[in-house]
Amino acid sequence: MAKEGDMSLFNDVLEPFRRVINTDPPKEKLSASLKLNFSDSNQSLKEGLSNLLSLGKRKSSIGMGDVSTPDKRMRTESTSNAGSVPPSPWEAKKMKIDLIAAKAQITRLEARVNHQHTIRKEMQILFEEEKGSLIEQHKRDERALADMEERLQVIRRREQELKDEFSDAVKEHKEMKANWDKDKSELLKQIAELKDKLLEANVSSKDQLSEMKKDMDELLQALEGAQSEVDILKKEVAKQTSRAEQCTSLRTQLEKQTFELQQVTNKLKELEYEKDSYKDWQQQSKTAQKRLSNMAELEKEVTRLRANERSLRDAVCNKLLLEEQVHVLTTKVEALQPVQQKLHDAKVKIASLETALEEWKTAARNHGVENARALSSALEAALTSQLTATAGCSEAQSKLAQLTEEVATAKYERDKTATKLNDLQTVRKNQESLIHRLQKRLLLVTRERDSYRQQLDCYEKELTVTLSGEGGVGGAALAAARVEQLEKSLQAYRDLLASLDQTAHTKQVESLRAEVSKWREEAESLRRDVLKLQAQRDVLQAHLERLHAQPATKVLHMMDNPAAAAQKQIQTDLEAAQEEIKRLTAALREGGNVACPEEMQQLKQQLENSRIKLKRMKEEYTSCAQEYKDVVYMLLGYKIDRTGHNNYRISNMYAESAEEYLTFTLCEDGIEMVQTDYAETLSELVELHLQHHHSIPVFLSALTMNLFTRTTMQQDAHE
Amino acid sequence: MSQQQTKNIITLRGSAQIICEYLKFAMNSVLFQRGLYPAETFKAEQHYGITLLLSEDAQIKNFLTNLLTQSEEWIVNKKVSKLSLIILDVANKEVLECWDFKVEYEEGDTALSKERNETVGNKDLKKIQQEIRDVMLQVAATISYLPFLDRRCSFDVLVHAKTDCDIPEQWAEAEPISITNAQNVQLKSFTTSLHKMETVVTYKLFD
Repeated sequence: MAKEGDMSLFNDVLEPFRRVINTDPPKEKLSASLKLNFSDSNQSLKEGLSNLLSLGKRKSSIGMGDVSTPDKRMRTESTSNAGSVPPSPWEAKKMKIDLIAAKAQITRLEARVNHQHTIRKEMQILFEEEKGSLIEQHKRDERALADMEERLQVIRRREQELKDEFSDAVKEHKEMKANWDKDKSELLKQIAELKDKLLEANVSSKDQLSEMKKDMDELLQALEGAQSEVDILKKEVAKQTSRAEQCTSLRTQLEKQTFELQQVTNKLKELEYEKDSYKDWQQQSKTAQKRLSNMAELEKEVTRLRANERSLRDAVCNKLLLEEQVHVLTTKVEALQPVQQKLHDAKVKIASLETALEEWKTAARNHGVENARALSSALEAALTSQLTATAGCSEAQSKLAQLTEEVATAKYERDKTATKLNDLQTVRKNQESLIHRLQKRLLLVTRERDSYRQQLDCYEKELTVTLSGEGGVGGAALAAARVEQLEKSLQAYRDLLASLDQTAHTKQVESLRAEVSKWREEAESLRRDVLKLQAQRDVLQAHLERLHAQPATKVLHMMDNPAAAAQKQIQTDLEAAQEEIKRLTAALREGGNVACPEEMQQLKQQLENSRIKLKRMKEEYTSCAQEYKDVVYMLLGYKIDRTGHNNYRISNMYAESAEEYLTFTLCEDGIEMVQTDYAETLSELVELHLQHHHSIPVFLSALTMNLFTRTTMQQDAHE
Repeated sequence: MSQQQTKNIITLRGSAQIICEYLKFAMNSVLFQRGLYPAETFKAEQHYGITLLLSEDAQIKNFLTNLLTQSEEWIVNKKVSKLSLIILDVANKEVLECWDFKVEYEEGDTALSKERNETVGNKDLKKIQQEIRDVMLQVAATISYLPFLDRRCSFDVLVHAKTDCDIPEQWAEAEPISITNAQNVQLKSFTTSLHKMETVVTYKLFD
C-alpha cells in the first residue's frame, strides 16, 4: 500500500515533469515547422503563433499551480496516511525509512523541480524573446505583403490600361485597315486609269517615234552636210597648220639667225679684243724687233758673261784647291807648331848657353887665360892640383876619421869619468848634508850643554843664596834672575824650533821640485816619442805612396769598348756637322740666286705675264665702267659721278649749267639727298616727291621732265 | 755521403764561371740602373730568384761576352786582381763613376784539393747564389744615393791584370783612372770559397 501510495505520489510529482518533457518536443517541432512555414503563408504563421501562445499559457499554468501545490499537499497526505493506519514496529521502521527516503527523494525532487522551474523560466524568457522577434518578423511580413499587394494592384491597373490600349490599338488597326482598303481600291482604280493612260501614251509615243524618225532622217541629212563642211574645214585646217609650220620654221630660222647674229657679234667682240691684243702684239713685236736689233749686243754680252762664268768656275776650282792646300797647310802648321816651340826653346837655350859661355870666357880672361889651350892647360894644372888636393883631403879625412874615433873614445872616457864624477859629487853632497846635519846636532848639543851649564850655575847660585842667608830682597832678586834665565832658555828653544821648522819646509820644497823636474823630463821624453812616431808614420806613408806609384798590375781594356765607340761616333758627328756648316756658310756667301736660274727666269716670266694680265684687266675694267656710265647717261638722263666715299654727284642731261647738280650719300638704310644750292631751287619737287612720295626715282624723273619741257620750250621760243 | 760530397765540389773553372756570371749580371744591372741605355733595350729575366735586366743591344752583348770569356781565362790563371766598370762623360772623357769588382783568390778546401789533385772548393751553390742575390739587390739600391747622370755617358771595363800577363788581340793597355772628389761605397762581398768578390762603387761627388 505504502508502495502504491508512494508510487502515486511519485506519479503525482512526476506528472508535471512528464508533461513538460512531453510538451517540449512539440514545441521544438513547432518552431521547426514555424521556421519552415515562415515564408509560406500568413495563415500558417498565425496558427503557429496561436499554438505557441496557448502552449505558453498552459506551461505557465503548469509551472505556477501544479508544481508548487503538490509539495504541500504531499506532506499533508503522508501525515494523514501515517495517522490512519497503525503501523507495526517493523513496518513503522520501514515506513520511517521509506519516509526518510521519500523525504530525501522529495527534497531531491524539489531541487529538481526548482531546477526545472529555472529552466522553465529561462525557456519562457527565450520564448518571449523569440515571440517578440517573430512578431516583428510578422509585422515586417505584413508590411511586405501590403507592399506586394499594392504593387499587384498597380500591376493590375497597368494590365488594365494595357488591355485598354490594346483594344484601342485593335480598333485603330481596324480603322486603318478599312482606310487602307479604301485607299487600295482607289489606287487600283488609279492603276487602271494609268493603264489606260499608258495605252494611250503608247499610241501617242508610237506616233512621236515615227515623227522622230522623220526628224532623225532630216538630221542625218544635215549631219552629212555638216560632215562635208567639216571635211572642207579640215582641209583648211591642214592648210593653216602647214602655214603655221612654215611660220614656226621661219621663227626658228629667225632665232637661228638671231643666234648667229649674236655669235657674230660675239665674234666681232672677240675679234675686236683680238685686234686689241694684236695691237699689243704689234707693240710687243716692235719692242721685240728693237730687242732683236740689240741681239748682237746681247750675244756679245752673253759670250762675255760665259767667259766670266768660266773664269769664276776656275776660280771656284782654284778656291777648292786652295782650301785643300790651306787645310794641308794648317795640318802642317799644327804639326810644325811643336817643332817651332822646340826651336824657340832651343834658341832660348842657345842664348842662355852663349851668355854662360861669355861668362866663362870673362872668367877665363880674368884668370889671364886667353886661349882654349891655355885654359885646358890651366884646367889640367888645376885638375892635378885638385887631385893632389883631393889626395890630401882623403888623407886628412882619414886622419879626421881617426881623430873622430879618438874623440869618440875620449868622449866615452870623459862620459865615464863624468858619470863617476857625478857619483862622487852625489856622495859628496850626501856627506855634506850629513856634515851639515851633524854640525847642527853639534850646535844643538853645545847649546844644550850651555843651557845645562847655565842651569847648573843657577843651581849653584841658589845654593849659595840659600847658603848665604834668607833675605827677602835677595830671594826676590834671585827669583827674578831665575825667571830671566828661564825665559832665555825658552827663547833659545823657540829659535831652535823655528830653525828646525825651516829646514823641514825647505826639504819639502826640494822634494816637490824634484818631482816637477821628473815630470818635466817625462813629458820631454814623451814629446820625443811623438816626434819619433811621426817620423815613422811619414816614412811609412812615403813607403805606401811608393808602393802605389809602382803598380804591380797593368790596366787592360778592350779596344772596341762602348766608350771608344761613342767617342768615335761623336767625333764623326762633329766633323759632319762642321762640314755641313762650312758648306752652308759657303752657300750663304755665294748667294741663293745661283742655285736655280731657270726657276728664277720662269718666275720672272710669270710675273711679267701676270702684270700684263693685270694691265689688260684694268683697261677692260675702265672701258666697261665708261661704257656703263654712258649707257646710264643715255638711258636715264643722268650722269653719275662718285665724288668720294659713299658720295655721288648726279647731273641731268638737260641741265642748263654744270653747277646744276645734286649730291646723294649712301647710308646704311638707303640713299639720302644732300642739301646743295641747286637743290634749294627745286623745293617744290623736293616737297612733293621726296617728302610726300618718298621716292627718289620719281623725283629725278620729274626733274628730267621739268628740264626737258623747259629746254624744248626754249627751243620753241627760239624757233 | 759520396753524393753529398760531389754535389758541393766547386772546381776552379766553375768558380770562375760563377764570378763571370755575376759580373755579367752586375754590369748589365749597373747599365740599366744608371740609365746609360734606354730601358726598353733591356729584357727582364729571372736569376738567383730575382728579376734581373739584361741588355738586348747586340753591341753591348758582344762586348760583354768577349770581355768575360777573356776575363774567365785570366781569373782561372789568377792573373786578374780587379775589374773596373767605368762610366765616363763622352764629351770630355771625364770619369764620373767607377765600379770596382775586386777578385781575391782563396785556398778552398785544401784536404779535398789534395785528394782530387786540383784546387776545389766545397761551398753550397745555393748559399753562393743567396750571397750574390744580396749583392745584386744592393746594386739595385745604389741608385738612391748615386748622383744623377745628366749628360751623355758611356762605359768601359778596365781589367787590372798582373804585369806578366800577355795582351791578347783586340786588347790594349789603358791609362789608370782617377776620380776627383771621390766617394767610396763598399757593397757586400761574396765568396765561392775559391774566389772572393768585393764590389765597390766610387763616384764623383758634385758640390
